[in-house]
Amino acid sequence: MADISLQNISKSFGAVEVISGLSLDVHSGEFVVFLGPSGSGKSTVLRMIAGLESIDSGTLLIGGKVSQDLAPGQRNVAMVFQNYALYPHMTVRENMAFGLKNIRLAPDEIKRRVEEAAHVLEIGALLDRKPAQLSGGQRQRVAIGRAIVKEPAAFLFDEPLSNLDAALRVRTRVELAELHQRMKSTMIYVTHDQTEAMTLGDRIVILNNCKIEQIGTPLEVYNTPATKFVASFIGSPAMNFLSGTTSQGKTGANFVTSDGLTLETNIALSNFGAFELGIRPEAIRLTDAADGLPARVRVVERLGDRTLVYAVLPDGTQIVAQDSGRSHVQTGDKVHLIFDPSQVVLFDAEGKAHHS
Amino acid sequence: MTSGRLQKLNLFGGIITVFTLICAIIWAFPIYWGIVSSLKPEDEVVRPYIELWPETLTFDHYWFALTETQIGRWYINSIVTALGVTVLTVSTSMFAGYAISQLRFPFRRTLYWLILASFMVPTQVLIINHFVLVANMGLLNSWAGIILPQLIHPVVIIVYKQFFDQVPKDFREAAAMDNASEFGTLFKVYMPMNWGVTTALAIVSFIWSWNAFLWPFLAVTKNEMMTITVGITQVSDAFGVYYARQLAAAVLAGFPVAFAYLLFQRRVTTAITLSAGIKG
Repeated sequence: MADISLQNISKSFGAVEVISGLSLDVHSGEFVVFLGPSGSGKSTVLRMIAGLESIDSGTLLIGGKVSQDLAPGQRNVAMVFQNYALYPHMTVRENMAFGLKNIRLAPDEIKRRVEEAAHVLEIGALLDRKPAQLSGGQRQRVAIGRAIVKEPAAFLFDEPLSNLDAALRVRTRVELAELHQRMKSTMIYVTHDQTEAMTLGDRIVILNNCKIEQIGTPLEVYNTPATKFVASFIGSPAMNFLSGTTSQGKTGANFVTSDGLTLETNIALSNFGAFELGIRPEAIRLTDAADGLPARVRVVERLGDRTLVYAVLPDGTQIVAQDSGRSHVQTGDKVHLIFDPSQVVLFDAEGKAHHS
Repeated sequence: MTSGRLQKLNLFGGIITVFTLICAIIWAFPIYWGIVSSLKPEDEVVRPYIELWPETLTFDHYWFALTETQIGRWYINSIVTALGVTVLTVSTSMFAGYAISQLRFPFRRTLYWLILASFMVPTQVLIINHFVLVANMGLLNSWAGIILPQLIHPVVIIVYKQFFDQVPKDFREAAAMDNASEFGTLFKVYMPMNWGVTTALAIVSFIWSWNAFLWPFLAVTKNEMMTITVGITQVSDAFGVYYARQLAAAVLAGFPVAFAYLLFQRRVTTAITLSAGIKG
């Protein structure tokens, strides 16, 4: 059963329709990440689930209950805000208990829940401090604690790690993953950071221009992107793209680059014409032999475990290839690039992906 | 910086300091003169030349004001009416400021503009209407009659609105997620985050109301219902005005306000800056 179900949800701000006919099921206990660039509508969808934005049309079910007309506090969801939004005049204990007092929970039960959450998050020693006396990471934990004590049907996270420094972000990310494994609760997490999405999500919902581009597991969206946008948004460095045309080949479509070089693929196409070929840096092999695409190396980035080679094809297209950490490639070298045909993706004029 | 420029700056600073000092003396002299005169015998007060210090120091006028007039009653009237005005002004303005800042309802902007526009109408223009209204309500010579027309303080609403505008909307949303009602959000989140402005506004409201003269003077005719500012006009007898007595009563009347100023100096300055910064 879906814990949260969005059915044909639409939302407009004035005359501008920001979400149009969006449907999505989030299963019980699932960690779903909304990923997309700024303005893609991911936070709006989250806020619509939370009740902080109204839903113009469509149905929102939370735990099977129609919820689009309920007040935020009555939807049985808890939200962790980007800036934590901890009440500055209240202690950590009061911050965590505030929501429970508002629903008139018994004081003993409030105390039990607060202490249990504090124990889980290891913030027991901070309960009598004010938010101003806490570090960024501690505030983050308190914000999560404030959500945990409500024992909600789902947790909603709105870019919760974006205010932390890089090292703390990585640590908190791991802790969040552990917390999810321990609590087995439904979590929806909004981010524009693909690493967070890939590492935390059971499924990733990729949004662009207020529309869902693809829903899939991290490996699905990485290996079989549905659109050119997904292919370019997921992965660092990004997927390489070459312009060209396709024609029928022996095993599938042949891709002809603008320089006239032909690459054989095993992708079956029904229509041929102008296409773009996409290939990830790790699916490109560098060779000195005369087969493959000739290219000249412009920049070499040595990352220790791997080397990123930025090379330029004769038509000026820049390609990033990944070589081993001990690569001997130097700037200015002439190399040949061999593409792994099983990992090639073709994108039609609408940006739709075709896989082998 | 060269020493020549420094010297110029020092000279300029010196001139400014002397100028400020002169202004302060001009401003403070009447207060000094009032206090000194209240400590002189009446015949010394009416002498035609300036004496900066009393020849004979006397507290008789204070004794008279405290024992022979209804000053105790006037103090009570002033305290009750000033506290009433303060509590009611601050609480109603807090609600109005919150509603205009945070709630979305029809004609919200129109209401805000009306409040802003009310700045342009001096209270004195409305004083006859107020008098007729209060008289019709049978509230002349009562605390309620003194308090009600003094509750119009658009500036307090606007200061609150501006402060509530500055509270990040995340807090309001967090309160909504925490199942807080609008009252809960106002009293448990917004007000505690703005106690500084509330105390500042309460202090200036109290001082405004304590110092109010025109309206209490019109609304009250009975000696025992007078506020202290009105009461001090009554410290005279059939033989005419006694300046020293009147000044002693005035000093006594001003004492609580002066004490409040000293106690809450910084908050008063904040409040005056806040309300003076508001332009209609």
